[in-house]
Amino acid sequence: MDTTQLLKGVLDLAVLAVVAERDGYGYDVVRRLRAAGLEEVGDASVYGTLRRLYAGGHLTSYVVPSEEGPHRKYYAVNEAGRAQLAAATGTWRSFTDAMDKLLGSHGEEAA
Amino acid sequence: MNDTIEGDVARYATVVRAAFADLAAPERELLLEDLEDHLAEVAAEDEGPLAARLGAPEAYAAELRASAGLPAPGAAAAGRRRSSLRESRVARRLRRSWRAAVAHPAGGAVVGFLPELRPAWWALRGYLAVQAVAVVLSALTNDSGLSFPLPAPFGSELLGLLATAVAVVVSVRWGRRGPGGTGRRALTLAGNAVLALFGVTLLLQLGADEAAGDDYRPDQVLSYAGPISGLRSDGEEISNIFAFDADGKPLRDVYLVDQDGDPVVVTHYDNEYLEPRIALDRDGNEVPNRYPQAQDEVDAAGRRVPGPTPEFRPPPGPVRVP
Repeated sequence: MDTTQLLKGVLDLAVLAVVAERDGYGYDVVRRLRAAGLEEVGDASVYGTLRRLYAGGHLTSYVVPSEEGPHRKYYAVNEAGRAQLAAATGTWRSFTDAMDKLLGSHGEEAA
Repeated sequence: MNDTIEGDVARYATVVRAAFADLAAPERELLLEDLEDHLAEVAAEDEGPLAARLGAPEAYAAELRASAGLPAPGAAAAGRRRSSLRESRVARRLRRSWRAAVAHPAGGAVVGFLPELRPAWWALRGYLAVQAVAVVLSALTNDSGLSFPLPAPFGSELLGLLATAVAVVVSVRWGRRGPGGTGRRALTLAGNAVLALFGVTLLLQLGADEAAGDDYRPDQVLSYAGPISGLRSDGEEISNIFAFDADGKPLRDVYLVDQDGDPVVVTHYDNEYLEPRIALDRDGNEVPNRYPQAQDEVDAAGRRVPGPTPEFRPPPGPVRVP
């Protein structure tokens, strides 16, 4: 199954989770998502998601000056973002539970 | 080296930004305000040009668009300039209902059929434009007012016919040329809105005229309180009675009573202008069964004059009861 299709629906949740764990700048968020196993995540998708969450009031941002290289814009989850993350996590849990139940027997048959 | 990286970032960002040219400036800034900074971060991570790591800037822009919840640039160019960045909840719900309606087979059929109605609207639009001009002209010159179905600018239906023919041709040509540039589209939208509104007003006006009756007589709208008494003959309300003697000479001051001696009172609507006036006795009490009652009518000049006495020719006599 094409992972990029699955990612589309849950990228908000993934980005919120990563930033909630620790504030991060754009490329840092991309790298952490990939390190977590979402290797196919695109830079543009993450950047667009960060901007959308920021515009929607779920993230705040601040600039950190850097000695070598450009200044970095860090994103942090605010109250609204945390609420959004909690709600989306609940939705995700019940969705995966349902999918697990659906797929569980198939896995056993195949095994 | 640094110059090269900066140049690379700037070039890459320029191409990406170009793909968002259809967005309004504030929305574009909200999405892209730190694009260059972000690309510089990415560039600083590794060697090599950005395109090698991020793919073509056009593809990057497309992915960015999708993740920001924006429609593909083609859809935006088709006239739906919108962005989910600042979309209100109401707008989102409306859009969802619209999508649901279109997704439904019946809804889809209706929506699919709409473009076929476009030429009809173009023709109607031309007609409405002339009718609108004619109505404005007649208001300015205190003319006869609305002329329907043919508009009559300067009171001339022939002129209206010619103007309508020209306007329909112009309107259809305008429609066939497609949406065109922003200015043209705005002009078309505004014109359509004004003419559609005028069309609805026209319909309402016609409906009101119809309800009021074609030949409009002012006195007909005077108060109507329902009959205070009633006499019918063959289903028709009788509002006055004229008596004649055997020679066909009209009688005055005739009192009518029924089989019980009760006064016979004709239908009376209490309309002081057109109804017969009921006579009063010495004490001011009504004498409703004295006939014929005095009845006025309004002549062409608007004056009230005594109404006519109906003609009556007595049957050939001698008349007898079989």
